[in-house]
Amino acid sequence: MMSGRKLWWSVLVVVTVFYAIPMVAMTRFAFQRVPVIKLSWSNVFDKWTVAPIGETFADPNFRSSALLSIGLSVATAVLTVLLLVPTMALAHLRSPRVRRWIEVSAVLPFVVPAIALVVGFAGAFRGTAPLFIRNPYGMVPLLVITALPFTHRTIENGLSSIDLRTLVDASRSLGAGWNRTIWTVVAPNIRGSIATATFLAITVVLGEFTIASLLLKNTLPLYLAYAQGQNPQGAFAVGLVLTAISASLIGITNGIGRRSRR
Amino acid sequence: MAGLSKRQARPLVFLPYFAFLAVFLVWPALYVFRSAFERSGAPRSPMIEAVTGQYRGSFVYSLQLSFASAAIGVLVGSLVAIAVVQLDSIRGVRSALVGYSSVAANMGGIPLAFAFLAAFGMQGLATRLLREINVDLVGWGFKITDFWGIVLVYLYFQIPLMTLILVPALDGLRRTWHEAAQSLGASAPQYWRLVAFPILLPALLGGFLLLVSNSFAAYATAFALSSGSSRLVPVQIRFFLQGETITGKTNLGYAMAAWMVLITALLVVGFQALVRRSERWRR
Repeated sequence: MMSGRKLWWSVLVVVTVFYAIPMVAMTRFAFQRVPVIKLSWSNVFDKWTVAPIGETFADPNFRSSALLSIGLSVATAVLTVLLLVPTMALAHLRSPRVRRWIEVSAVLPFVVPAIALVVGFAGAFRGTAPLFIRNPYGMVPLLVITALPFTHRTIENGLSSIDLRTLVDASRSLGAGWNRTIWTVVAPNIRGSIATATFLAITVVLGEFTIASLLLKNTLPLYLAYAQGQNPQGAFAVGLVLTAISASLIGITNGIGRRSRR
Repeated sequence: MAGLSKRQARPLVFLPYFAFLAVFLVWPALYVFRSAFERSGAPRSPMIEAVTGQYRGSFVYSLQLSFASAAIGVLVGSLVAIAVVQLDSIRGVRSALVGYSSVAANMGGIPLAFAFLAAFGMQGLATRLLREINVDLVGWGFKITDFWGIVLVYLYFQIPLMTLILVPALDGLRRTWHEAAQSLGASAPQYWRLVAFPILLPALLGGFLLLVSNSFAAYATAFALSSGSSRLVPVQIRFFLQGETITGKTNLGYAMAAWMVLITALLVVGFQALVRRSERWRR
């Protein structure tokens, strides 16, 4: 049925064009020294430059927000792994019921949108533990929660794919304690899942806007929103780099997932 | 089997995780609801005020936006998924489309708003190229910051998300069902209408609910497009509760947040139920 195939091809062509246009436009706007109003077919190859990135780097506000975002990514990833790996490994071994509870609880962040979470957090902690609101790293727990549905799933897949009980019994019978068993036996065996969870946590932190915006913390996305008015070309260039980083992190996690499924 | 790992379970080891959730997820959520029901002298409960009068418009607007982008997202995303499965014999089609979908479904926030401003803004590249072929978006009153503009932006993550949901469901359609239908004399349209569609229905409806909640909670993109002046519910909540400023209407902000949680919860529960139903066929 040739006409059917043609129809499906045209669907794919249209959607590919739709996916490509904003990215192409953003790339040209960010990296061509041509006034936006003059961008056209005729100057596709003219005046490409990476200078906008350099100009943005020269801005101390950018550097501090980039450092904060990197710090938050690392902190969120570390806290996620510390919190999830031991708890979930033990639940796998000892209590299917707790495992089920963890599974249900990991979907809860979908139920509470980020905007509701952050206003509740601010209200609840302002009177009791204002440090969490004042210190930029006080938002790390909220970021861990935001990433939880994704990170939980990957750790869960990792733990289900190995013979956890045999590994743990072997390690314990050789005299290793719990901590040692978790971090030197179980963790290395699910390193693909831990890497995936880490990348997903980083992706969430690099893109997160709502929480940082309500708590007035100058992370990269907030800097971008602010710089849009000051230096649009630089802001678009950094936004594009950020998108590329997130895309490659997700690409890598897909690769890890495929390899471990084989 | 009395393995060493099978020793008496100590519930204490699970405490850190659940305590963490209690403090950083449950407590904030409860705080939202407690404040949402605090009347503090006002004639009506904030929960009522948030969905009546001038504030009702925000919810209507947000929900209309979510339903519009979800409906188009389901339609186009499903077509893409079918196309991917139909053209599976051609190498690279599936991995390219599914791979990019997983990237695009996670896009959003400020960079996505930038990309669409560069393409479909007043002087955007696509806006001007389309004008050259006599498609005058600006002349038609299209603005990237308006309702249909935001819908267009949201489609960038809604379409790929739907593709990602439907491709596995389509893979689950067994070849034998198609052959059985054919050998019983069903035509291709009959097979799709009477066999495939009913099996796919839970996945389609579940996908729709997920897409609705996905765009209902979205905030950053609309905020960046409208420079913070949107009617969307999250932007309104921000207005009432931002930082330390006292607007005198803080409880109204909490009430709007509480309604958001209720609506999202309903959507998520519906989605989970439908997913379980659609997976029944894949066992």
